[in-house]
Amino acid sequence: MMMKDEREISILRRQLDRLGMSIVEADPGDKQSPLEPVDVIVLDADAIPIKSDRSPALKINVPIIALIGTETPSRLKWLLDLQPASFLIKPLRSAGLYAALVVAFDCAQRRGEEAAHIEKLEERVRSRRVVFGAVLQLMKSHALSEEDAFALIRQTAMRHRTTIEQLSADIIAVGGMPNRNSRSA
Amino acid sequence: MIKPSIPLGLVFSRSGPYEMMAREMEKSALMAVDEVNQSNEFDFTFTPHLRDPGGVVAAYHTACDDLIRSEQVQHIIGCYTSASRKQVIPIVERTERLLWHPARYEGFESSDNVIYVGAAPNHTVVPLVRHMLEHIATDVFCAGSNYVWTWETNRVLREIVTSAGGRIIAERLLELGGTAVDHIVREIIDRKPPVVFNTLVGESSYVFMRALHAASERAGHSIPMLSCSLCEPELKLIGSDASVGCITSSAYFESIENAANRAFVARWKARHGADSSVSVDGQSTYVCVMLLARAIRRAGSVEVSAVRRAAANHRYDSPQGPVWVDPDNNHCFLTPRLARSVSDCKFEIFWEADAPERPDPYLSSLDLASIGARSENSDAVARRSNHLRVVK
Repeated sequence: MMMKDEREISILRRQLDRLGMSIVEADPGDKQSPLEPVDVIVLDADAIPIKSDRSPALKINVPIIALIGTETPSRLKWLLDLQPASFLIKPLRSAGLYAALVVAFDCAQRRGEEAAHIEKLEERVRSRRVVFGAVLQLMKSHALSEEDAFALIRQTAMRHRTTIEQLSADIIAVGGMPNRNSRSA
Repeated sequence: MIKPSIPLGLVFSRSGPYEMMAREMEKSALMAVDEVNQSNEFDFTFTPHLRDPGGVVAAYHTACDDLIRSEQVQHIIGCYTSASRKQVIPIVERTERLLWHPARYEGFESSDNVIYVGAAPNHTVVPLVRHMLEHIATDVFCAGSNYVWTWETNRVLREIVTSAGGRIIAERLLELGGTAVDHIVREIIDRKPPVVFNTLVGESSYVFMRALHAASERAGHSIPMLSCSLCEPELKLIGSDASVGCITSSAYFESIENAANRAFVARWKARHGADSSVSVDGQSTYVCVMLLARAIRRAGSVEVSAVRRAAANHRYDSPQGPVWVDPDNNHCFLTPRLARSVSDCKFEIFWEADAPERPDPYLSSLDLASIGARSENSDAVARRSNHLRVVK
C-alpha cells in the first residue's frame, strides 16, 4: 500500500484482511527504499506530485492498482506512464477492490505472457541473419539450391532436437554441417 | 410510562416473483417487532414502516430513499435477492444507515453499512459439497436458475469437485421463474447421474422436483438431490411425495431441537396457524430484528456506528442457536446444518457443525485439499488431492 489518507488506508486494510492478503506499507513519496517483494501495489496517485522523480518501488515489475481522486488530464497522463493494471475511484468503498485485484492480476499475467512471446519473436528476427548465413554456407559447400539448403537445416535441426537458429549458428561456427552423432550437443 | 418509539424500515416484496419468501420474512419481522414491543427487556418500541417494492429491482432504491427521508429510519431490514441489495447499498452507504439483510447469498461482498445475518457460502455450499464427496458421489449434474446465486454456487461446487477428482456432468440453467423443465428431467433420466445439485428457485424448483419425482417413479430408480435453499413452506408447495429425500444445507430448520426454537415455533404456529411452517429466511428475519433490538439496547442509541459496535461479537441465543456478528466482515457466525426432507413436509437433521462457524464471504480460508472424496481413508484422500493440485 502506497497511500497517505488514513481513512482510505483503513477501508483498504479491512477489505484486504477479508480477502486473506497481507499488507506492506510504504510512503508514496519515498525515493529511497524499494519495497520488499509484493504481488501488487495499491498506489494513491494523488499522494505523489506530478513533477517529481518516480519512486524506485514503482519501477519494478509489479502490477499497480491506481487510486484516482483527481481526474485532470495532467494527472491521468502521469498515471498512464505507470501503466496501471487496474484502478479505483476515490473515495473508496468496500465494493470494488476485489474486482480491481482480479483485473490487475489477470492483466499482469497477460502482460507477462505477451512479453515472453514478443521476446521469442524478437529473438527469431535477430537470428534471421544467422540462418541466412548458414543457408548460404550450405548452398556453397553442398551445391544446393536455397530451398534445399533450408530444408536440410530444418530437417537436421528437427533430428537433433534443436532450433533452426541454434543449428545455423553451429553451421557458421564450424564452416559446414556439424558432425553430430550424439545428441549431447 | 410510554416507551420511546424507534422507526424501523421493512422492505419486502409482497408481490412479484419471490413474494412467497418475502411474505414469510415480513411476517417474521412483524412477529419479532411485536415481541420486542411487548417485552420488559427493552425500554423502547419499534414502529415498523412497511414498503413493498413489488419485486421490481429499481423500486428498492425508491423505497429506501423514502424510508430514510420521510420516516427518518436509521435501520432497514429487508431485501431477498442480491440484485435488490445492490440497489440499496449505495443509498445506505451515502446516508450512513444500516441494512440488516436476512437472506443467505452467494458472498463476495462486505459493506460496512450492511449486517449480513443470512448464511455466507462457507455455511451452505461448502458443507453440502463436502457431504456429497464423502458420502454420495464425486460426479454431479447441476440444474439451476440462470442468475448470480446459481452461477456462483456452481462455481464453488466446480472448484471443490474438480480438486477432489470429480466432475460436473452437466450444468443446465433455466431462466428465473421458468417452468419448462421437461428437457432437463429427460436428460437426467437418460444419463442417470449419481446426484443432482438443484439451485433452481421458486416455482421453477417446485415444478422441476415434481416432474423429476414422477419421471423417476416411472423409470424405476431415484436420484439423490441436493439443495442450499429448500425450506419447510416450500416442501408443502411441492407436495409431500415429490419433496421427500432432498439433502438440504441450511443454518435453520424448523426441527432444530432446543428450547429457544421449540418456543419460537410454538409462538409462530399460535400466530400463523398450526399448519404453517417457519422458513430459514423467516427465522433469519426474526433474528435480524432481535440482533438490532439488542444492539440498540446495548448502545443506548440508534445511531448507526454505535449500534454496529454494540452488535459486534454480541452473542444472541436465537432459535437457530448462538448467533453473533463478526466485526471483521459484518457477516454472522452461524451453525451449518444438513438435513434430509422427509414425509409430512419436515426436515430430519443428520449433521450439524460442533460450533458456530466464522463467516467467510470471500471463501478466502477455503482449503480445497481438506475436502477430499470418501473420507474412510484419510491418507489416500490427502495423497489424491495433493496430486490433483499439482496437476492443476
